[in-house]
Amino acid sequence: MIVYLSTLAVLVSIAALVGLGLNFQWGVAGLVNFGVVGFVALGAYATALTVSSLGWVLAMGLAAVVSAAASTILAFLSVRLEEDYLAIVTIGFGEIINILLLNEDWLTGGALGIANIPRPLASVIPAAQYDNFLPLFAIGLVAATFLVLEMLVRSPLGRALRAVRDDPTVASALGKPVLVLRIKAFAIGGAVMGVAGSLHAFYLTYIDPSQFTSIITAYAFMAVILGGRGSNLGLLIGSCTIISLIEATRFLKDALNIVDGVQLFALRLGLVGVGIILLLLLRPQGLFPEPRKHVRDFFEDSRESN
Amino acid sequence: MLGQVIVNGLVTGLLLALPSLALTIVFGILKFPNFAVGSTLTFGAYGTWVANHLMGMPLIAAAVVGSLVTAGMAILSDKLIFERLRDSGSITLLVASLGLSLVLENICRFSFGNATRDFDIDIARPLRWHGLRINHEQMTTAITVIICVVVVQILLHASPLGRAMRATADNPALAAVRGIERNTISHITWALAAVLLTISGVLAGMDRAIDPLLGWSYQIPVFAAAILGGLGSPIGAVVGALVIGVAEELSTLVLPTNDRQIVSFAVILVLLLVRTQGLFGARAVRK
Repeated sequence: MIVYLSTLAVLVSIAALVGLGLNFQWGVAGLVNFGVVGFVALGAYATALTVSSLGWVLAMGLAAVVSAAASTILAFLSVRLEEDYLAIVTIGFGEIINILLLNEDWLTGGALGIANIPRPLASVIPAAQYDNFLPLFAIGLVAATFLVLEMLVRSPLGRALRAVRDDPTVASALGKPVLVLRIKAFAIGGAVMGVAGSLHAFYLTYIDPSQFTSIITAYAFMAVILGGRGSNLGLLIGSCTIISLIEATRFLKDALNIVDGVQLFALRLGLVGVGIILLLLLRPQGLFPEPRKHVRDFFEDSRESN
Repeated sequence: MLGQVIVNGLVTGLLLALPSLALTIVFGILKFPNFAVGSTLTFGAYGTWVANHLMGMPLIAAAVVGSLVTAGMAILSDKLIFERLRDSGSITLLVASLGLSLVLENICRFSFGNATRDFDIDIARPLRWHGLRINHEQMTTAITVIICVVVVQILLHASPLGRAMRATADNPALAAVRGIERNTISHITWALAAVLLTISGVLAGMDRAIDPLLGWSYQIPVFAAAILGGLGSPIGAVVGALVIGVAEELSTLVLPTNDRQIVSFAVILVLLLVRTQGLFGARAVRK
């Protein structure tokens, strides 16, 4: 049971990091990104390829840098686009990354992937204790990321990003560099997704392209919508809920004898789809909507009524 | 050699034409890129396969059954999901269509597993003509798609229904004043898109085999084709599809075959950078 819970903690942490990245891009800055999985995969591969020579700290840093760089390039090319088109470009990017990982086997090992990825501090911590250490490491990582992002959201940068999201024309009339702000938001979100990829690689110690399917993107979207766009705390609760529910479907296999492995997989993905649709229909603002500031919060005499 | 590549490219392009057409007419009426095109194609292919393989109908009759089932599903999803979200912005609709896509794909996977399936059709020798090799499937694809494209064009431009659809796409409020029910038009559009996608699902299933990711593998080229033609322009979608098909096949002369999807993606990127309105249509840049 403890082993199961610690696995669950790591899975939730990975999903929470991916979700935090998407929440910064989409929730805070209003830039939709359907290629989430591509950035996670870049981070995972960057870590896996360099961790034995650079050590885990630098390898994780590199994962963040590589994903942030890819985000910057993609953002530079496409954030001027209407949301619809940005969505198409990013979903294309996610697919292309997967194709490249599969085909450029001189670097990525192709369909076989990369095995025996050394875990952080594995030489210091005895193997027997490692299953207890990894969840703590993962939760620490989520906590640190959460704090940094929460500070960013409250900083002038965060305020400017929300302004750009809500009305780019007004923001640019007030002298905010809309394009630069959007690229920054995309890069920061991408870096967080890269770190999530690192954690993914450390957790499994083995990565291949089949692990990086659009299901990762779907989880992240569901977590952001469930938590409420723009709310980091909501996101954490959202990803806990989703991953726990998804993992709970594992027990369906024991309850229903008819379900085989493929059917269980299909059932999970289908339920995620149903969940996304139901949330959009029934509670589009999420569980914990971002608090709205009103004029009254600053000027008590204001007659503004909303 | 080059002739063969171009023939293959045109046929690939024709195969992309119907899904791009479906994508673009739904975009015209509902103003959002429907990410469920791929999975609707898969759904239609499986529906037809059930009627053909499990119930023993001839392929054409099975395709009719598959189209009806898929059209019913599309109308139902419009009623249950998209009609209710219509006023919440295109990105919400888009995320909802991604959800629908997961549901449809996994209904197929849950019912029939990941194994590939084939239609019950006879395998025939390829035809040879002036040194070009043309499969029967390629002939069937070309003829079917050309007929469908002509029928859709006539429907859109020479029928009261088409006029109503174009009016709704152009200005829904004005169309409503003239007594055109937006919801009815949108149901009909979904149904038409579903029929086109089922037909392309059958053609794609004949070309390779049916599996739960059949439609997903066409997603990027289909979007590339529709964007190339200008989202919302039916004739643009067909032209775009032909260009993408030929470009993908030509790229195999210089690139590894596996990398052909990258060509579509590159086309999307370059187009959006250089000519955002596509060949025939809408603007993509925001402030």
